[in-house]
Amino acid sequence: MSAHQHPHEEQDFLFKYVFSQDHKMISKQFLITGFIMGFIGLSMSTLFRLQLGFPGESFWIIDFLLGSWAENGVMLPDKYLALVTMHGTIMVFFLLTAGLSGTFSNLLIPLQIGARDMASGFLNMLSYWFFFVSSVIMLISLGVEGGAASAGWTIYPPLSALPQAIPGSGLGMTLWLVAMAIFIASSLLGSLNYIVTILNLRTKGMTMTRLPLTIWSFLITAIVGVISFPVLLAAALLLVFDRSFGTSFYLSDIYIGGQVLEHSGGSPILFEHLFWFLGHPEVYIVLLPALGITSEIVSTMSRKPIFGYRAMITSMLAIGFLSAIVWGHHMFVTGMNPFLGAVFTFTTLLIAIPSAVKVFNYITTLWKGNIKFSPAMLFSIGLVSTFISGGLTGLILGDSALDINVHDTYFVVGHFHIVMGLSGIFGMIAGVYHWFPKIFGRMLNNNLGNAHFWITIVSSYGIFFPMHFLGLAGVPRRYYTNSEFPLFENLLDINTLITWFAILAFAGQLIFFFNFVYSALRGPKAPQNPWKGNSLEWTTGVKHIHGNWPGEIPTVHRWPYDYSKLNENGDYVTGEDFIPQIVPLGEGELDGGGH
Amino acid sequence: MTTISLDNIKYKAEIRQKTAKPLLWIGLISIVMFFAGLTSALIVSKSNSIWIKLEVPSMFFISTILILFSSLTYQLSMSFTKNNQLKFATITTILTFVLGISFTVTQFYAWQQLYQSGIFWAGEQSNPSGSYFYALTALHLLHLFAGLISLLVVVTKSLLKKYSPTNVLGIQLSLTYWHFLTALWVYLFFFLKFIA
Repeated sequence: MSAHQHPHEEQDFLFKYVFSQDHKMISKQFLITGFIMGFIGLSMSTLFRLQLGFPGESFWIIDFLLGSWAENGVMLPDKYLALVTMHGTIMVFFLLTAGLSGTFSNLLIPLQIGARDMASGFLNMLSYWFFFVSSVIMLISLGVEGGAASAGWTIYPPLSALPQAIPGSGLGMTLWLVAMAIFIASSLLGSLNYIVTILNLRTKGMTMTRLPLTIWSFLITAIVGVISFPVLLAAALLLVFDRSFGTSFYLSDIYIGGQVLEHSGGSPILFEHLFWFLGHPEVYIVLLPALGITSEIVSTMSRKPIFGYRAMITSMLAIGFLSAIVWGHHMFVTGMNPFLGAVFTFTTLLIAIPSAVKVFNYITTLWKGNIKFSPAMLFSIGLVSTFISGGLTGLILGDSALDINVHDTYFVVGHFHIVMGLSGIFGMIAGVYHWFPKIFGRMLNNNLGNAHFWITIVSSYGIFFPMHFLGLAGVPRRYYTNSEFPLFENLLDINTLITWFAILAFAGQLIFFFNFVYSALRGPKAPQNPWKGNSLEWTTGVKHIHGNWPGEIPTVHRWPYDYSKLNENGDYVTGEDFIPQIVPLGEGELDGGGH
Repeated sequence: MTTISLDNIKYKAEIRQKTAKPLLWIGLISIVMFFAGLTSALIVSKSNSIWIKLEVPSMFFISTILILFSSLTYQLSMSFTKNNQLKFATITTILTFVLGISFTVTQFYAWQQLYQSGIFWAGEQSNPSGSYFYALTALHLLHLFAGLISLLVVVTKSLLKKYSPTNVLGIQLSLTYWHFLTALWVYLFFFLKFIA
C-alpha cells in the first residue's frame, strides 16, 4: 500500500456484517439488538399496565402473547412479577446501557476524535457478541419452567438466593445471573476500549479541551462502568455461591414451609450494599451518554457555542465521582444508622449542584439561539425537561427523612422513570435522529419524527407524573393489583388513565420503528453534513469505509462549538454559521475550548 | 496522536504498541474493584455476631514466598531479554511457570488444611468467615490461571526465539499481570491474616 492509503480492505460477508471489527458496524449491531430488546421490554410494560389499569379484565392480546402465563386473558400474579422484573432488567441494562453506550460510543468515539477504529477491534467485536449471547440467554429465561426471574430487577435475596422461594427463583433466576455475568464482561470489554481509544488515539490537534462533550460523557461513563460493574459481578458471584453451593453470604435464619434452612451468618443487606454500589452509578451510566448527546445536539441545533464547556466537563466529572458515594440512599429503610443516613443524604443532595449547572448551561445555550426544531432537538429539549422534573423529585428521595415516607411506592417508580428512563431514552432517540445519516447514510422522515416526539412526551408525562400522587397516597410498587385494597379504591381511575397513556406511548414508538426501518432502507440519501456540524464525523464520507478517512486523518485546529462566530465587522468568520474543527484558526482568533 | 498511513500489519503493530499497556492497566483496575467489592463484603459480614476469627493456614505462608519469588524470576527474565541473554531469559521464564504451578499446588494444600480443621466452604457446618477464605483465594487462583496461560505463551515464543531486546511487549504485558497477581495475593494474605 502506498503512503496515502488507509488500512481498508475488502471483507467477505461474515466478517463485514457478522463478526465485524469495524466500530461503525458494531455500533449498528448494538443499536439494532438494543432496539429489539427495548421493544420487548416496552411491550412487557404495556401488558402489565393492562393488568394494573383494568385488574382482572380479560384481554385477547394477553392470552395471545403470554400463553400459559395467563388464564382466560388475565395474566397470572407470579408472571406479573416476572414481567416487571424482566422489563426493568431489559430496559436498564440491555437498552439503556448496552444499547445506548454501545451504539454511540462505538459510532462516535473514533469518528469524533479522529481515529481509524477502536484500540482493539477484536475486543470490541467480543463486547458485542457477549452482549448478544447475554440477550439471548435473558430471553430464553422467559420460557423455562417456573418462568423468568421474578425478584425485581434488583434481585434482592432471599428471593433470588433460594431456588425454592418462588417459581421465578428457579432456573429463570439462574439464567438471569448467567446472562448478567456475560453482560458485565461485555460492558467491561467495551469500557476498556472506549477509555484507551479516547486517551491514546486522538488525531493531531485533538486536545482534551477540544473534544466534543459526547466524547467526554462516553469517557466518564466508561470509567464509572469499569469501577462499578466489577462490584456487581462480585455480588452476583456470592449470590451464585449461595444458590448453588450452599454458602451463606446473604442468608441467615430462613424458614420455608415451616422448615428451617441450614444457612446462617449471612445478611441480605450485604447484597444491597454491593448491588447499589453498581446500581446507583448505573443511573449515570445511563444518563451521562444521553447528556453528552444532548450537549452536542443543543449546540448544533441552536447554532450557538455550548455554554460553559469546561463547566459541563467538570459537572460530568463531579457527577461521576459523586455517583460512587451515594448508594446508601437506596437503603434508608434497612435499619441504617441515622448518622450514616445523614451522610448519604448529604452526598446525594450534592449531586444537585453539577446537575443544576448542566441544566443551566443547556438553557443558556438555547437562549436566543437560532433554534432548528428537528426531532433530535425536540427530544434533547425533552431530556432537559425530564432531567429537571425527575431531578426535583430526586431531592425528596435523597433526603432520608422524606424518603422513608414514600419508599417502595409509586413515587419512586415515577421518579426514576422520569429522571433515568425518560432522560436516557430521550437522549438515545435524539442521538438516533441526529446521527441516523451517519449510521445509515439516509435521512429519517421529519414529520413522523415530530409526531413521534409529541406523542412520546405527552404520553410519558401522562404515565409517570400521576404516579407521584399514587405514591404519596401510599400505593406500593410491584403489587399485582391495587384494586383489592379499600384504601386505594378511589385511585383506580388514575391507574386506568396511566394505562391509556402507556398504550398511546407504545403506539408512538411504533411510528418511530416504522420510520427507522423504512428510512434505513428507503429514506432519502443523506448529504455529508446534513446539520452543518463542526465535529470530525461530518468530514467522513457518507459511504462507510473501514478506516474512516480515505487519506490522512484530518488535523484539528479548534474546539467543536464554533457556531455563528462573528468577526470584528459582525460577519460570519467563514461566511457560514459554523466552522468545522479542521479549519485553522485565523490570525488573532482564539480557540473557544480554552474559555 | 495518530498518523496512520502505512500498510495494515504495520498499522496494527503501531496501534498495539500504543494501546496494549493501557488496555491491560484498565483491565487491572476492574480486577482491583472486583476484589475491593469482595473484601468490602467481608468487612460488612464481619459485623455479624456469629463471625468466627480464623487462623490463616500455614501453607498460605509458603504460597506467599513462592509467588514473591516467581515475580522476581520473571523480572529477571525481562532483564535477560533486554540484555539479549535469551537463553537465560527462557530458563527464568520456565522457572516462573514452575513456581506458579507450585503456588497453585500449595493453594490446594491450604484448602485441605482448612477443611481438616473444620472450616468448610459451604453446607450446614459452614460459616461465612470460612466461605470467604475459600472464595477469595479461589477467585485469585482463577485469575492466576490466566497468568499461567500467558506464561505458557511467553515460554513458547521464547523457545521459538520470537523475542528480542527491542521486541518485548508480549513479555511486558504478561510480566505486569504477573506482578499484579503477586501484589493482589500479598494484599489478600495480609487481609485474611489481620482483618478477617
